Amino acid sequence: MARPGLTPVTTLERSTTVKLKSLTAAAALLLGLTACSSADGSGSGEANADGTPRELRIAYQLIPNGDLIVKDRGWLEEALPDTEITWSRFDSGGDVNTAILAGSVDIGLAGSSPVARGLSAPLDIAYKVPWIFDVIGENEALVARDASSVAELKGKKIAAPFASTTHYSLLAALQDAGLKEDDVTLVDLEPQDIQAAWTRGDIDAAYVWTPVLGELQKDGRTLVTSRDLAAKGRVTADLAVVRTAFADRYPEALAVWLRQQDRAVKLVREDKAAASAAVGRQLGLSPEEAGRQIDQLILLDGEEQQGAGHLGTAAAPGALAQTLRSTAEFLRTQKTVDAVPELTVFQQALAADALAEAFGG
Amino acid sequence: MSRAFVLRAGGVLALLALWWAASAAGIWPEVFVPKPESVWSSLVETWTDGYAGHPLWEHLGVSLRRILLGSLYGVLGGVVAGLLIGLVPTVRALLGPLVTFVRTLPPLAYFSLLVIWFGIDETPKVVLLFVAALPPVAVATADAVRGVHEDYVHAARSLGATRRQIPFLIVLPSALPELMTGIRVAVGVAYTTVVAAETVNGVPGIGGMIRDAQRYNQSDVVVLGLLVIGASGLLIDALLQLAERRLAPWRGRA
Repeated sequence: MARPGLTPVTTLERSTTVKLKSLTAAAALLLGLTACSSADGSGSGEANADGTPRELRIAYQLIPNGDLIVKDRGWLEEALPDTEITWSRFDSGGDVNTAILAGSVDIGLAGSSPVARGLSAPLDIAYKVPWIFDVIGENEALVARDASSVAELKGKKIAAPFASTTHYSLLAALQDAGLKEDDVTLVDLEPQDIQAAWTRGDIDAAYVWTPVLGELQKDGRTLVTSRDLAAKGRVTADLAVVRTAFADRYPEALAVWLRQQDRAVKLVREDKAAASAAVGRQLGLSPEEAGRQIDQLILLDGEEQQGAGHLGTAAAPGALAQTLRSTAEFLRTQKTVDAVPELTVFQQALAADALAEAFGG
Repeated sequence: MSRAFVLRAGGVLALLALWWAASAAGIWPEVFVPKPESVWSSLVETWTDGYAGHPLWEHLGVSLRRILLGSLYGVLGGVVAGLLIGLVPTVRALLGPLVTFVRTLPPLAYFSLLVIWFGIDETPKVVLLFVAALPPVAVATADAVRGVHEDYVHAARSLGATRRQIPFLIVLPSALPELMTGIRVAVGVAYTTVVAAETVNGVPGIGGMIRDAQRYNQSDVVVLGLLVIGASGLLIDALLQLAERRLAPWRGRA
């Protein structure tokens, strides 16, 4: 290794200095890069001359609700022609939380579990809930191979995608049936793996959503659905979240967004065929199957969103705040949040004022 | 020794100081850059109370068991495949491209197939690690076997060794140094693959723990998991290097 003209010691010293220098340079570059990206994220981007945002970044998920209709029909692009709208597909609310924290998404879809977690410590994400995409009904259910009640699942192997709404619903259903977590074997699997494991007979039951749910129901028995749990006060829902900075800076754009969602819900009620076709195109399903899946969800229009059972009004925050808080309490027992915030924190996170601006009331 | 040691310790301390400074400056939320002290307290907590219902040592132990089994099968299979590829031209033509093909496959890409074939328990994980660990050993063995000095073989033959004895008494021992390097690479590959293997029903397991923590945005546990994987990987590599020096002490002195 010794080079001509240099003693070994000098070589070592030289290469060390070079290494140190390049290391420092790399570290400085890294710091600079992260600083840039975080500076971008904390602001709300540039505005157009007419006050509309220059860009609107949306995180959507493949759930047969109004969001897919808005996307399929291009209504948002039509209503905000000067805004560049990007739709990014996400598979879980946890990832949407991360994206909003990183400042790379303005409006996203996340289940009530991830949102309760996002509003609690340690995440404390600065976002608000301006809209309920859907209240989860029969599209999420607990299916078992040979059991006729939840209590019979004692000692069995049950799968669910952890950190999702079904994970919450599964544990709630077990609790209601008098079972503890230790009484069963819980397996963390993504929906497609649940289907594989079910076909092979590796699991006895699973709490999962469509379309995998449909496959399980072909040879399994539905023990409880999220609609049943909602009736007992264990509500799960798919919620919209908007970065507080975005909502404060562009209230008109948010109102436009809300009105498109309202239009989609009304389309489902007034022209089911058109709505099913739009959702079917987005999910790669036939209109009939898409229509059946839409019916499993409970959709709410702008006026219903302002009801006391949901988002409510600025003066009287709706029951969703309590739902989120009980979800957070439950997550606390799972040790996935550090502390459960006061009810007022969740009430303030309901963007009822944005609803009022969009629909009056 | 002292100079190298000071440099190493200095490097680790400098990185720690940089980390501490970056997190203490508070430029980013804790989810982006967890504080060293929260990683420490999550170490204490996962060691005593556990994470996702299992203590840290159990997560690590289960993962190490998977790595050990996968590497063991991988090394056995790799030695056999490497010997055949190196010694039998027909097998070389048949298996050579296949081994290279498998080596370039990203584990996550075919893991879903293994889940469908072998279920969600230990089998698909060990099979994945086996498939990942086999090619480096096979390639190293094949190369080493073909590089064995012909004089050794001729000498053994003229001293009366049979055709069957040659591979085991002459070829393998003289290929041992390269084989040990292949094993070290294989264990390293198995180590990086275990996180992929634990994406499906991976708890307990250190990769499953990281994945779970990532989903709940518990960055301190993610960092802890990475540190544990890195530290245990260093330790295992050091053990393998020690074994290499014991088993093939002539290495580099020929």
